[in-house]
Amino acid sequence: MKGAGWIVAAIALVALTLLPLHMNGYWLNLLYQTVLFVGLAYGFNIISGYAGYFSFGQIAFFGIGAYTTGALALGTHWDWTICALIGGVLCGVLALPIGAIMLRLRGPFFAIGMLGLAQTARVLASSSSALGGGSGMYLPPGSSLLPVYYWTLVVAGGAFAVTWWIDHSAFGLRLQAIREDEAIAATLGVATTRAKVTAFIISAIIPGLLGGGYAWFLTYIEPSSAFSARVDLQSIVMAILGGIGTLWGPLVGAVLMTQVSEALWANFPQAYLMIFGGLLVVLLIVLPRGIVPAVTARWQKRNTPSAGGGMAMGGVKPEPELP
Amino acid sequence: MPLLEVRNVSFAFGGVKALDDVSLSVNEGEIVSIIGPNGAGKTTLFNVISGLLRPPHGDVLLDGQTLKGRAPHRIARMGIGRTNQIVRPFGRLSVVDNVAVGALIHERTLRGARVAAREIVEFVGLGALADRNAGTLTLTQRKRLEVARALALKPRLLLLDEVMAGLTPSEMDTMAEFILALPKRGIAAIAGIEHVMRLVMRISHRIVVLDYGQKIAEGTPAEIRSDPRVIEAYLGAPLEVL
Repeated sequence: MKGAGWIVAAIALVALTLLPLHMNGYWLNLLYQTVLFVGLAYGFNIISGYAGYFSFGQIAFFGIGAYTTGALALGTHWDWTICALIGGVLCGVLALPIGAIMLRLRGPFFAIGMLGLAQTARVLASSSSALGGGSGMYLPPGSSLLPVYYWTLVVAGGAFAVTWWIDHSAFGLRLQAIREDEAIAATLGVATTRAKVTAFIISAIIPGLLGGGYAWFLTYIEPSSAFSARVDLQSIVMAILGGIGTLWGPLVGAVLMTQVSEALWANFPQAYLMIFGGLLVVLLIVLPRGIVPAVTARWQKRNTPSAGGGMAMGGVKPEPELP
Repeated sequence: MPLLEVRNVSFAFGGVKALDDVSLSVNEGEIVSIIGPNGAGKTTLFNVISGLLRPPHGDVLLDGQTLKGRAPHRIARMGIGRTNQIVRPFGRLSVVDNVAVGALIHERTLRGARVAAREIVEFVGLGALADRNAGTLTLTQRKRLEVARALALKPRLLLLDEVMAGLTPSEMDTMAEFILALPKRGIAAIAGIEHVMRLVMRISHRIVVLDYGQKIAEGTPAEIRSDPRVIEAYLGAPLEVL
């Protein structure tokens, strides 16, 4: 089963690399948006899904990445990929002090604090004349979407790979212990601050790198698109729909949501948002923990030999023998 | 030198003195019980020792080294493990992974930590449930899980906060046997126990009595049994009755 999963992943990766070469603009555009949201959802998933710190502000790093790339490219005429790389690294560097401060907040306070941070970044960008203020910056128009697409594909693939590693590592277990109960994790030897801040940094680098590509995709950067609340919220909803704190959740959520939203938009241009919103509500009521956890729970239930035909009997009683 | 020394620790929640100038010590391989009614300050004392609370007055020393200013995870790595009065399993992690978290301080890899954890899980009798989500365990099983998680640290000192609470009499006996066997494994323990004097007398080398945050007595089980202050403040009746 596990092997099959990897074969499917390898085929998908080859297809994602080769197919765009023969795609027209519309499909490539849709594919780009899909991969972008997959990457963003994975970025959110690490700090929020694994470490349990729900962040409404990862878009701040997306915007910082976009602006850094734009400003550097205009100022230096370096290749945009180098600028985008620097943007990503800058996000990681900034995330260290920001994380060390913000992660002292818990629960809703952290979520709101991060929202405030993203707004602050947006306001700073729109009031900085060096960054073009409210009217933004124009980048030289690119000839093809392909390089941006491949950049985004590599970052999203990298985000998936990092998540896979987290899911299988001691670091990941520590993050999940923090998510479940931070004080208890600390009394069990987990250096909580270090683990949280590390997760936060990873969760900042990913949107930072993606933002650089986005700047090149739009060829025009202004505050409300670089720090777009809509993009932020969409990536969060996608991760939640797929199942946060899981390896496959963000992928499933992001792919499903971008495709369904596109199909609805194409067929019901007037009512699509209403239908889409309704669908989301229903899905989240039926599967509150997301699609992937629901499916794995199903699968496990079917594959565990049920003793005496059922659960809900308070568990198999073990022998009461503490030696 | 004692293994653990608590020196003149005071701690207040607002105006309520949860701990008032409390001192005590635990020697290597010794089992010390802290008894006292609900609200006497037992849990607060455990929270101070494990670093979750920082007392404004007093000091805690392990092997003569102060624990002042040390984060809880450092104190855990120095060899102090604890269980919690209100059981708090990592509900969405498996039983093995609950225990593996602590084992990680000795094991480099997750795989190694899980192997070590599985052994401990077997040891506390939860082997059949090792791969279950901890959120599905019963109260008794959760109590065992608390013990297993703390043992994974390979502690030199175990803080057992109300390990007897909520157990049936036969389960209490099992737990008492477990505590009695700790010194043989090189583990000292402080057991906070509200009721069940019968077991306290049986497992303890020494007993410390707390009342409203103050230490009102300390001694061997025999001494405590006959201490008039203890009888008045806490036991309330001659011990033969209990």
